[in-house]
Amino acid sequence: MSTTFLPCGDYHQNYKQEHAWWQTKFIEAKMILLLIVLFVIIPLVADSYVLSILNLVGYTILGALGVQLLIGFCGQITLGHAAFIAVGAYTSTLLILEFPWPKFMIDWGVAYPISVLVAGIAAGIWSVFFGLPSARVKGFYLILTTMAAQFITVDFIITQYVSQIGGRGQAFSLPPGTIKIGPWVIDSDLKVYFMMLILLIVCVIGVVNLLRSRVGRAWIAIRDNDISAEVMGINVVKYKLLAFYVSGFIGGIAGAFWISNLAAISPEHFPWFWSLWLVGVILIGGIGSIHGTIFGAIFMVVVMELLQLAVMPFADIYPKLLMDFLFIKEAAFGLAICLFLMFEPNGLAYRWWQIKNYFNLWPFSY
Amino acid sequence: MELFLMALTTGIMVGGIYALVAIGWVIIYKCSGVLNLAMGEMTLIGAYISLTFYSMGLPFLLALLISLIIGLLLGILTERVFLDKLIGEPVLAVIMVTVGLSFFFKGMVELIWGTDTRVFTPPVFSMEPFHIGQIIIGQVYLWSFVAAIILLIIFVCFFKYTRWGLAMQATADDEMAALSIGVSARFVYAAAWSIAFMAAGVGGTLLGNINGLNISVGYLGLLVLPAVVLGGLNSIPGAIVGGIAIGLLQNFSGVYLDSYFPGGVKEIAPFAFMAIFLLFKPHGFWGWERIERV
Repeated sequence: MSTTFLPCGDYHQNYKQEHAWWQTKFIEAKMILLLIVLFVIIPLVADSYVLSILNLVGYTILGALGVQLLIGFCGQITLGHAAFIAVGAYTSTLLILEFPWPKFMIDWGVAYPISVLVAGIAAGIWSVFFGLPSARVKGFYLILTTMAAQFITVDFIITQYVSQIGGRGQAFSLPPGTIKIGPWVIDSDLKVYFMMLILLIVCVIGVVNLLRSRVGRAWIAIRDNDISAEVMGINVVKYKLLAFYVSGFIGGIAGAFWISNLAAISPEHFPWFWSLWLVGVILIGGIGSIHGTIFGAIFMVVVMELLQLAVMPFADIYPKLLMDFLFIKEAAFGLAICLFLMFEPNGLAYRWWQIKNYFNLWPFSY
Repeated sequence: MELFLMALTTGIMVGGIYALVAIGWVIIYKCSGVLNLAMGEMTLIGAYISLTFYSMGLPFLLALLISLIIGLLLGILTERVFLDKLIGEPVLAVIMVTVGLSFFFKGMVELIWGTDTRVFTPPVFSMEPFHIGQIIIGQVYLWSFVAAIILLIIFVCFFKYTRWGLAMQATADDEMAALSIGVSARFVYAAAWSIAFMAAGVGGTLLGNINGLNISVGYLGLLVLPAVVLGGLNSIPGAIVGGIAIGLLQNFSGVYLDSYFPGGVKEIAPFAFMAIFLLFKPHGFWGWERIERV
C-alpha cells in the first residue's frame, strides 16, 4: 500500500514535504477536527457503556500495534503477544502492590506512571528473550517459538509462580485509589478513556516516526526479503530483536494501561485466544498499515458488540443463549478471519485507501 | 525403576496416539503445503461424533466408522470451501485461515455439545489393568496403542500400495511433475484433508476414552506441533518418532520434574523443549533443509 494520491494540483516540491505528517492544509484541518471529536465531543456525549467499549477498542489498538509492527513491518510472525501484555500488566501491578514506594511518591501520583514505564521495559526484554530464536528460524518455526512463549509465560510462570507472590491467590486485586497519575485517581471510565487516548496517541506517533526513520526502513527491508536486506548491510539480527523489543514495549504499556480498567487481574485475562485475536485484528484491518490496526480494532470490537445486541433479544426465548454467546463469538471470530482472508486479503485499510483516493482524485481519476 | 518403566510404557502408548494425529498433520503439509493449526479441533469433532453415536447405543466400532465417514466428508468440505482459494498464498494467510477454522470449529463444538466433560458410558475398555511383569498398564492405554499402530500400518500401506496413495506421494514430491502426468491436485488436497480428519477423529476418540472428553482434548492439536517439529515437518516416519518422543517427554517430565517445578510442567515441557530444540536443529531430524535464495 503506497502513499495516498494527493488532490489534483498539489505537488510535493521537496523531500521534507513528502515526509510531512500532514501533507496539506485540508488534512491538517481534518486531523484537528478528529482530535476535537476525540477529546471534547465524545466525552461530552458518550455514556459509560460507550466509553467502556471505546476503552476496549483503545486497548485492542495498543496491543495490536505491537503485533502490527512485528508482523506487518518486520515480517516476524508472532502468535504469543498476549504473553508480553501479561508481563506488562503483572509488572505494573506487582510494582504498585509490593514495591516500597516512598510516601511522597504515592502522594504525588508518580508510582503508577513509573510502573507503566518499567512494565514496558520488562515486557520488551521478555519479548527479546523469546525473539532470540528469530536469529536462526523464521516463518512457521518462529510461530511455534512465540506460541511456546505464550504457554511458558502465561500458563506456567505467571499462573504457577508469579500469582503466588504475596499470597493473594490467583487474582491480584488493586485497591481503589492506587492507580493515580499526578493528582487524578483513575477510577471512572472517562478518566481511563483520556489516559487511553493519550497513551494511544503517543504510541502511534512513536511507531510512525520509527517507521519513517532508518530503523523502520531496515525493518521493512527485512520483511520484504531478509537475505537481500543482509546483503545491503543491514544487521538483520539486531533489527529483528529491536522490533521484538519495541513491540514488547508497546504490549507491556498496553497491559499496564489495562489494569486501570480491571478490578483484579488474573492469568485468565491473557489467554492464547487474545494473542490470536490481536493477529486477527491486524489481518482484518490490513497488514502493514497503522490505519489498518485502528480500523481492525474498531471493526472487531464493534461487530462483536453488535452481535451481542442482536443475539440478546432471543435470550428470553432461549435462556441457554446467554451462556452460549461466548461460543458464538468464537465461531464468528473464526469465520470473520477466514472470510476476510478469502475475499479481502488486503484488509479494511485497502478499502479506506481506495475511498480516499476516489475523493482526492475526483473528478479526474486518471 | 518401577516408576521409570511405568512412565516409559504410558509415554509410548500415549505417544502412539499423538503419532497418529501427527501423521494427519504431516500429510496435509506434505500434499498441500498448509500448516494446519486446527488439528486439535478436528480431533474434537471426530471424538464427539463417535461419542454421540456410541451413547445412542451403537457398538463402538460402528460409531467409530460413522465418525470416520463424517470426518471424510467434513475434510472434503473444509478443503473445498476454505482452503482451495488459498493455495500459494503467504504463510501467514494460510496459517491464520486454519486458526480461524479452529475457532469456528471450537465454537461449533461448544455450541452443539457443551463444555462439560463427557465419558463413554458404558466404558468401552474394561477397567481391569494388565500386568506385564512388574508393569501395570491400563487396558485403555494398551488398546489405544494397538489401534493407533494398526491405523499407522494401514496408512503406510495406503501410501505405498494404492493408486491414490501413490498419487498423493507424487504430489508431495513434486507438484508440477505430478500435475503433468495427470494427477489431479484438487483430488489430492481433498484426500489429504479427509485423511487428516479421519486420523484426528480416531486419535480424539482414543484420548476421550482415557480421560473423558471435553474441550481440553483439543489441546492435543497443539501437542502435535512439537511432535512434527521434532521429526521434521515433511517426514512421516519423523511424525511417528516425534509423536512417541513427545508422549515420553510429557510423561517423564510429569514424573521427574514435577517435584522441582510444581504445577503444570507436564503441559509446558513439550513446548519449552521445542523452543530450545528449534534453536539447534530448526529442520528437525528428518525434515528437508531448504536453501534460500534471493
